[in-house]
Amino acid sequence: MENSKDDLKIQSFDLETQKLLKTALKDPASVNLEKVSNIIIDQSLKDQVFSKEAGRICFAIVQAESKQNNGSVFRRNLLNRLQQVFTEREKLRKSSRQEWVCYVTFICNVFDYLKVNNMPMVALVHPVYDCLLRLSQPDALLNEDEVDCLVLQLHRIGEQLERINPQRMDELFYLLRDGFLLQDGLTSMARLLLLEILEFRAGGWVLSNTAQKYYYSELAD
Amino acid sequence: MSQQHRYRRREDVQHDTNKQEYRTNGPARWSNSRKRGVDGSLRSDDATSHSPDEKQHHRDNRDQDHHRDQYYHSDNRHAKKAKRGGLVASHDAPTPSFTTPESEGPASRRDRRREADREMDRDGEMVRDGETDTDGETDTRDRDWARQVESTELRRDAQRYRRRILAPEYTQRERKNSSGSSDSRESPVPTAGEMETDEAVLFRRQKQINYGKNTLAYDQYSKEVPKHTREQGVHPKTPNKFKKYSRRSWDQQIKLWKVKLHAGWDPAPKKDGEEKDGEEDGEQLGLEDIMDIEEDSQNSTGSSNGLPVLLEDDDYMGTPVKMKKTEPDMA
Repeated sequence: MENSKDDLKIQSFDLETQKLLKTALKDPASVNLEKVSNIIIDQSLKDQVFSKEAGRICFAIVQAESKQNNGSVFRRNLLNRLQQVFTEREKLRKSSRQEWVCYVTFICNVFDYLKVNNMPMVALVHPVYDCLLRLSQPDALLNEDEVDCLVLQLHRIGEQLERINPQRMDELFYLLRDGFLLQDGLTSMARLLLLEILEFRAGGWVLSNTAQKYYYSELAD
Repeated sequence: MSQQHRYRRREDVQHDTNKQEYRTNGPARWSNSRKRGVDGSLRSDDATSHSPDEKQHHRDNRDQDHHRDQYYHSDNRHAKKAKRGGLVASHDAPTPSFTTPESEGPASRRDRRREADREMDRDGEMVRDGETDTDGETDTRDRDWARQVESTELRRDAQRYRRRILAPEYTQRERKNSSGSSDSRESPVPTAGEMETDEAVLFRRQKQINYGKNTLAYDQYSKEVPKHTREQGVHPKTPNKFKKYSRRSWDQQIKLWKVKLHAGWDPAPKKDGEEKDGEEDGEQLGLEDIMDIEEDSQNSTGSSNGLPVLLEDDDYMGTPVKMKKTEPDMA
């Protein structure tokens, strides 16, 4: 029932906070869930490693709270803060690209893990697309960290996103093709990443065997 | 293996005026200077007089073939990292007529418009129900995300409930249940048409129910008295949020329900020296206790949403036509 603590990545926190999180999972009503959600969000914006899997612990707490007393305090606060940051994302990107990348990683991770009635949260679909489209803009493609973030998210949630709204995925991939073909100043790594994701999607969100070999295995000379 | 049919949708998408500016009609003009056959040789335009759809397919195929040629014959295949510089050089320079990525894409324009709208809201709540935006899609970004998610859940609740009450056995069972409960409604469970469906109301009611259930008393109660052994009148029953009641009636039902729960099953003494040992203590609950309950002191999460249950000012609206008595019987 419970994820192993390793999955939840709470080692990213200091011991006291780890205790708090563990309590939140066991007995949500006994902790200040708003505070807990803020702790998690703040850490996600700072810690790139944590942001990649933070959705898990969020979902675990949401489920625990729902099961205990049908409450949704944690989820509500989580979404409110995510929404707040979303409205200021352009500012965020300017002030700290690292945080911006962490934010996108986090919101995509939340989209991936926080299912409602076993379905992804529809409210997040457009915001996620907006973020990914921002990452596909020419200025963003010049930054390897943004490209890296973009392709990672597409690998993880691209298929789901496309299922819900294929039009916007098309929109995004137009930008990616253009970027790949025409953008001056892309690093080779960026181009490689873009090409791989183009092939990945074209293959139905699966990499063909040959492509897999090409991109992911070293060839002896 | 490529999903070629997917790209056909490009033509459909061009109806969207937003996208019109970004994409030229038909295949992108850049391809005019770069069409190559599978063998990599340049193709003239005449050779590709296909319909737009097929042109699309061909271009996509050509892209993959073209790149594949490059890679398979390159010596640098194993160099995954920074040695791909040579690749770009093999492409033709883009024609000036091509719509460069620097031009406004539909997303960025929409972004900007939303940013402008949102300027006003930045200080306040994210909730904006009356969207002026004509494009239905962009609405949902601005509406409160948390609220949207909760609406989804409520809708499913309502669906499930509707399915249940339409089952004949259930309706029959409900008919027997009229006296003794604080539910003044004599009519049976409503048909689907008479259900409470207002999301705001359902949401508020569910919250009130949650407050009541999030108590030690309820915990104790549900452990002690399983549902099938509960008798009406004796055992407190959770008010049914899907039934139509006036605001006052509902609030009163909730209050009485909670009082009953605390009277019978509250494990911790409310006051010093007061022991709870059964239902008889109901009379001893003073006004302070009831006020206590209403102020949601049981909600121990310490969260910021501890709104007093009764003080929401949204609807003391007129009672719906199908209402009967508004004042419930005191149990």
